[in-house]
Amino acid sequence: MEAEVPTLCHMLVASKMSLDVQTRQTDAGVAVIVPSGRLDVAGAPALKDAISEAVKSGPPKVVIDMEGVSFVDSTGLGSVISALKQLRSSQGELRLAAPNQQVRVVLELTTLDRVFPYYATVEEALTGF
Amino acid sequence: MGQDGAFEFHATFAELGEGLDVLHLSIERLREATGREPDDRPLMLFETALGEIGSNVLTHGRPPGTERPIEYDLRFERGVLVASLTDSGPPVHEHLGREMPDVDSEAGRGLAMARSLVDELGYERVGDVNTWRLTKTL
Repeated sequence: MEAEVPTLCHMLVASKMSLDVQTRQTDAGVAVIVPSGRLDVAGAPALKDAISEAVKSGPPKVVIDMEGVSFVDSTGLGSVISALKQLRSSQGELRLAAPNQQVRVVLELTTLDRVFPYYATVEEALTGF
Repeated sequence: MGQDGAFEFHATFAELGEGLDVLHLSIERLREATGREPDDRPLMLFETALGEIGSNVLTHGRPPGTERPIEYDLRFERGVLVASLTDSGPPVHEHLGREMPDVDSEAGRGLAMARSLVDELGYERVGDVNTWRLTKTL
């Protein structure tokens, strides 16, 4: 006799913002963008907005601190590629710092790790930037 | 979780944020139920593929006027994890073979990523309903 399999049913789950984004500027004039949460199809617009704002009002050097990003999907990656294009068009540069294992796997799977050399920490990303 | 180690999760949803929350919640529940570590690689790869297919379903699977919610099932049994998602969006046969775009492309990676992350990515169109099925041995 087969064991009974319990079923978890979730008909209603409150929706929540998947991504919070904060921006700070270093003394050297580099914009450090700090997303927190899931960088997915729901969260990507928040990152794109933050990057556009940073590029518009600040120096064309940006570090995205990925430490607080728990998960990335292809749309989230698209927002980072969009940022790179914006920055390149203004002779700027983009660096990624502290991606977790899931983010690194996605970067490698899509060969985007060749486009975005990532750094273990924000401090490393800022060195010589 | 059953005595044989089986795990099952079922949900219905209609909104993007809500749906994505539920998909990730289901993986978290499975992780807890099976005692897997947060960095368990096979489960992380499956969750990544599930996020891609879930995003497509939630973005395109409920055209204006659709009443039917998206149906989601996750089942883990005898080491094999299977997720299915059912939606009422347009057929997507022409997109199934899409390859990974070049590195400058901002979109179009989702299906190619999902295919490469699971053992099998199935798609079936019956009437006006799409069913996606992701299978991976953990």
